[in-house]
Amino acid sequence: MYLAPDGDELGIAQAAAEFLAEAMSIERLHRAACADMSADLRHALGGMGWFALALPEDAGGSGLSAVEHALFFREVGRQCGPVDVLAQCLAATIVEDVTLRSAIANGDAGVALAVEDGTRLRIFGSENAAFMLQLGRDRSDLYPLENTASEPRASLDPATSIRLLDRVPTAVASDTGDCAWRLGQLGTAAMLVGIAEASLDQIVDYAKVRETFGKKIGSWQAVRHPCADMAVRLEAARAQLWFAATAMKEGRGDAGVHLDAAKYLANQAALANADTNIQLHGGIGVTDEHHAHLYLKHALVLARLFGGRREVLGRLLHAEVED
Amino acid sequence: MDLQYSDSDRDFRQKARTWLAANVPTTRRPANGHTSAQYDRDWQRKLYEHGWAGVAWPKEFGGLGLTGLQQVLWYEEMARARAPHYINTTYVALMHAGPTLIMRGTEAQKAFHLPKILSGDALWCQGFSEPNAGSDLASLKARGTIDGDDIVVSGAKMWTTDAQHADYQELLVRTDPDSQRHKGLTWIICDMKSPGIDIKPIRTMLNDEHINMVFYDDVRIPKSNVVGEINGGWASALATLSLERGLGFIGDQLELYERVGRATDMAGKLRLEDGTLAIDDSSIRQKLAALKADALAIRAMTLADIAETDRTGQPGPKGSMMKLLVTSAHKALSELVGDMMGWDFLEFDGDRTSHPWTYDYLWSWVFSISGGTNEIQRENIADRVLHLPRAR
Ligand SMILES: Cc1cc2nc3c(=O)[nH]c(=O)nc-3n(C[C@H](O)[C@H](O)[C@H](O)COP(=O)(O)OP(=O)(O)OC[C@H]3O[C@@H](n4cnc5c(N)ncnc54)[C@H](O)[C@@H]3O)c2cc1C
Repeated sequence: MYLAPDGDELGIAQAAAEFLAEAMSIERLHRAACADMSADLRHALGGMGWFALALPEDAGGSGLSAVEHALFFREVGRQCGPVDVLAQCLAATIVEDVTLRSAIANGDAGVALAVEDGTRLRIFGSENAAFMLQLGRDRSDLYPLENTASEPRASLDPATSIRLLDRVPTAVASDTGDCAWRLGQLGTAAMLVGIAEASLDQIVDYAKVRETFGKKIGSWQAVRHPCADMAVRLEAARAQLWFAATAMKEGRGDAGVHLDAAKYLANQAALANADTNIQLHGGIGVTDEHHAHLYLKHALVLARLFGGRREVLGRLLHAEVED
Repeated sequence: MDLQYSDSDRDFRQKARTWLAANVPTTRRPANGHTSAQYDRDWQRKLYEHGWAGVAWPKEFGGLGLTGLQQVLWYEEMARARAPHYINTTYVALMHAGPTLIMRGTEAQKAFHLPKILSGDALWCQGFSEPNAGSDLASLKARGTIDGDDIVVSGAKMWTTDAQHADYQELLVRTDPDSQRHKGLTWIICDMKSPGIDIKPIRTMLNDEHINMVFYDDVRIPKSNVVGEINGGWASALATLSLERGLGFIGDQLELYERVGRATDMAGKLRLEDGTLAIDDSSIRQKLAALKADALAIRAMTLADIAETDRTGQPGPKGSMMKLLVTSAHKALSELVGDMMGWDFLEFDGDRTSHPWTYDYLWSWVFSISGGTNEIQRENIADRVLHLPRAR
């Protein structure tokens, strides 16, 4: 029993953090045309093997587990990484065709994420993506996007572009089962935990330097105590994330229940921490040049994917866990 | 990361489950008075006689020498079996007095006191807080004057839980009259039958008299009862407090999941004032499920902390986080059940066992105030986890 990153896991988390801080820093979101993965970024991530982390070795991947997947996406979250990073990883796990799979895994072919919205599909990710991935709890389908007309929509979140599609094309690859969906839920929860962490780090740093009335704001209890609450929420969400990732890795029968709990707690922690981070920054917190609003807006997208609050709570109520 | 239990962990759980199923008392604990303390002593003696006493204690001091993880299993099984609640009149002795002696007591103190604690023969209370020293414990004023081989204590302690039942007390007094704050304090074992002690119960909002004012009028305590150094009591007090804040609430952490389950079962039977089943009310459903997620996270945090402690031998700084989470979740759960129960919730006669949900609701303030208020826990987190500039 051990529930914190350990051994090789630490190395992977650190490598991911360093790579992403270079290649996909949150600073990018203050520049024009910053949404989604650019083709360059996609190739950079693919070239380093990040899309193939959880892919079995005989399928050309690193053969690592849900735990490393969660560690990687936590770092993605800290940089408000785009949703198509996740779609790209998940698509690689459902495609049987070797050529297509390697094109996805190495970043040659882009994949966006598609989510059912009434009779239409809502697409998150680059308009240059060749495919879109739609995931359900019992099946996943990969569709071609080229030559498919979609309607661009405005997006609150600078990290994510959104389009709507009326007509669903014919799938090029499909998979039954919930494995990809679960990796999606875990990855999203991990990104939200990353956002909750980054928000806390940001306000703690600021509280140590900003002064009012001759004192650092971090010495005022009206600042200290909400920071402590942020730390508590984060700690709970992170512990449950590690539990869920490990339960998945070990194939426990109750992994789905722990994932739902992890997603719920990650939703709440990211939204609340992003909120408090803005408030405790004062005026600078509402400016466009600051990161604080980026965490909030990205959390609002992620909190709706792979189980919003009502959906996961509905499943959790009567779910059973093992010893 | 891994979630594996070893074979011996699994064996331990199975043995505990079987034993508890056969041995948990079927009679209710009396709500108040001498008979309630006797009930606790009897249960502790039974645990002792069957080899279950001292789950957190090392073997060489008569405990079970369990790993942290096995302690988690023990408390989970206690909750499942609905065993007598571990926060009872034996709590101070087992959870912090005994362990403080193990860390800082003399050989003679250990030899005399530890067996009595394990067998339920000796109950302890904690005399730290005073009328004007609670959160700011270091400002305490009770005097201990050194007189030959004795320390003569005068002054008052407040909030002392179960003082009227206790045989001994963890007593913290100022032995250096010129000292300031943390310096000049001494931690002594006070025999509660010593002449000069006067105990005045304080009635609480729970309708009980578990807490007390304790007055000391020239109470003579032999110097051999000092734990740690004379005037070096703060270090021993910190040891006691770290035990209280570390695993002190482990039972509540693990019990929460069971309690959410019980509340959910109850919601399946209770009708709300408009006739609908409580479980069909979407706001109740969502709150129950959210509390279940909280309970799972608290369990995950407990396991993470325990595993870390088993590995490093040092408890981490997370106790304050845990106390905030667990006190808030317990309060939210009892508020929710209170809302579902309607008028029945208000028919409370002060009996913990006949109206457990109302009792727990009232107890939620005890939980978030005693052992360091939630505000003080936030201060600890700000200082020790986040390293923010000090408020004080
Ligand atoms: C039921 C019960 C049982 C208890 N049992 C025992 C026992 O057996 N033995 C024992 O020694 N003690 C016991 N206590 C005492 C308990 O530890 C204290 O009540 C507690 O530490 C708070 O101290 P206080 O009551 O003096 O409140 P105060 O310290 O006066 O606090 C008043 C309010 O101010 C807040 N506050 C204080 N300082 C700060 C600060 N720096 N920043 C922000 N907010 C602050 C507090 O959070 C609180 O809300 C018990 C208390 C209760 C209620």
